[in-house]
Amino acid sequence: MELEAVVQAAKYLAAGICMGIGAIGAALGEGMIGARALDAMARQPEMANTVLRTMVIADAIAETTGIYSLVVAIVLLFVV
Amino acid sequence: MLEHLGEELALRLSIGGIEIAFNLVVLAVAVAVAGGLVLLSLWIRRGLSLDPDAPLSRRAALVAAAIDFFREQLLGGVSPELGDRLLPLVATLFLYVLACNWVGVLPIPYIVSPTQDLNVALGLALFVYGSTHYYGVRTKGIRRHVKGYFDPVPFLMPLNLLGDFGRTLSHGFRLFGNILGGSLLTAVTPVVVLRIAELIPVVGEALGWVARVAVVLGLNLAFGLFFGAIQALVFALLAAAYIQVTAD
Repeated sequence: MELEAVVQAAKYLAAGICMGIGAIGAALGEGMIGARALDAMARQPEMANTVLRTMVIADAIAETTGIYSLVVAIVLLFVV
Repeated sequence: MLEHLGEELALRLSIGGIEIAFNLVVLAVAVAVAGGLVLLSLWIRRGLSLDPDAPLSRRAALVAAAIDFFREQLLGGVSPELGDRLLPLVATLFLYVLACNWVGVLPIPYIVSPTQDLNVALGLALFVYGSTHYYGVRTKGIRRHVKGYFDPVPFLMPLNLLGDFGRTLSHGFRLFGNILGGSLLTAVTPVVVLRIAELIPVVGEALGWVARVAVVLGLNLAFGLFFGAIQALVFALLAAAYIQVTAD
């Protein structure tokens, strides 16, 4: 009974830590992509559409590691 | 309020000692989406005429615009001759994933996006992986295709295979995680908003329900429609890129 509660608590804690730390990389990457894309758009406004499209796709790829930690957190919460 | 999150209608079979579970809802929705797309294309096809001099009908204009969009956005980085052969495959992938993502927005109980099930997302990724080999063999011949795995030096072959494995895995997980994360957020946030609003005395509950409606609409718009479209675009674009890398 006691052990069960500890495991339960550790699960929530682990999911929180996993998501929190895992999101750092994706957030930094997406921020850099956004900043550089804004730079490029300001320099060449006529290219804005192309830059925006590429930016969104690069964002989605930079997000992947964040998504991995989300999957791990979900597995910790609902499956373990 | 959130008990239904872990619930699923599964059909469990045991074949040769290996237990296999089918989520029947996901299976039904996935097939229904495919059927709906087939019906839609048949309906659009009926509006097209074979006579090139006929005035442009609305459906023909739609098809022309869609093909232009696919050529430009999905196959922009692919060489023209390969792009023409890839167009049907990549456009179908895009439309199917898009329809699967968007079907989760419908306010019908038990209807969820099939792509928020790992089996569907990974299955689509495996299908893309299979077609990279198909197009690789078709364009380069089987000898050069197999030889490609022993480049640049033969002992790196396991690393190349590992790269393929990771690529396919991340292709499937990206779609799955984004859609599942979006739908979980859409399910959880309104409840949290309601709980917070209930702390306000007297008007709390009424305010909570108003806020809840706004939050549900906003989250469905952002995560259901917008991210669904972006993820479908990314999925199809990466499929085109993977096939192009193998078949170049």
